[in-house]
Amino acid sequence: MLKLYILLYYEFLKIGIFAIGGGYAALPFLYFIQSKYNWFSVDELTNMIAVSNITPGPIGINMATYTGFTTAGVIGSLVCTFAIESAPFLFAITIMKIYDKFKSCSAVNAIFNGLRPASCALLTAIGLQLLYKTCVTQNSFIIDYKSLFLFIILMIPFSFMKKQPLLAILAGALGGIILKQF
Amino acid sequence: MKKISLWDIYKVFFIIGIQLLGGGYVILPLLRKYIVENRNWLSEEELVDYFALSQCTPGIIAGNISMFAGYKARGTIGALTAIIGIITPSFFAIILLANILNGAVDNQLVKDAFWGIRISVIVLVIVTVKDMWAKSVYSIFTYILFFTVLTVLLIFPISPAIVILLSAIAAILHSKIMGGKNA
Repeated sequence: MLKLYILLYYEFLKIGIFAIGGGYAALPFLYFIQSKYNWFSVDELTNMIAVSNITPGPIGINMATYTGFTTAGVIGSLVCTFAIESAPFLFAITIMKIYDKFKSCSAVNAIFNGLRPASCALLTAIGLQLLYKTCVTQNSFIIDYKSLFLFIILMIPFSFMKKQPLLAILAGALGGIILKQF
Repeated sequence: MKKISLWDIYKVFFIIGIQLLGGGYVILPLLRKYIVENRNWLSEEELVDYFALSQCTPGIIAGNISMFAGYKARGTIGALTAIIGIITPSFFAIILLANILNGAVDNQLVKDAFWGIRISVIVLVIVTVKDMWAKSVYSIFTYILFFTVLTVLLIFPISPAIVILLSAIAAILHSKIMGGKNA
């Protein structure tokens, strides 16, 4: 059990250091953890991400708490939450101590110039892989028309709106219940 | 000046945490209301500076800006109090929901709903990509980097941490080479 906590701490510490650009930047790391350790299935992980979107609190923290809880109970969720914030905590107090030198992002802008597109590409790859896994039946390459239909129906309005997690998830739930009746 | 109490810091960030729904950017108006206007721990200018800073430091944006604000109020211990405050509602909400959902997963209606919700997550990921793309891919270098990373990722499952490290190196090399011309 101790070994599991240490692994969880290590993996979520890395998310805190390397996830650039908001809570969703943690997603590629979570799917990577899924494929590496199999602590939960891909579907379970996607469910947890959905619930994290509609729960109070920062999405990134919610996802860490939830995946930690699923993997190793209440202690697991505490380990993950503290792990994901421990590096940023050290960064934050260091930056505040040298605040005058750091005042703008210009010092690190050159690096972020490369990190932002990389972070965006990581999330794009996850989006495409999830879409493929959902809309194409594994091993047989048959298109799952119900999934594809719901995806297109949801994509049309939500791609024109500002991000609306709550509404998108409610619409998906409703769409899922209706479509599965046929 | 009177020292700001840790309990007050904890309380404020706890209250902000409860009201945080739907991503890091929602935190800005909440911080303005509770910390700039009601309590004067920060000036409006500082808040905007911290918000920009929290987007270009590693970690979750909402967590970062809370720690900056907590630090300003009461130093290192203030930053720690702020982050614990903002984490607390998440923690209890998730544990509660996880327990409820674990009991409901066998229900067919819940299963169907989650089937649809998983498709919502894909939609949300794509919408987020669209937002990130607008802010991050704008020059020859960023285009090349984006498509290189994406192509490699679709072929080999590489650790995201390695991807970020290599991209940081590429960006440093690029700025060194371009340094003289368009710094």
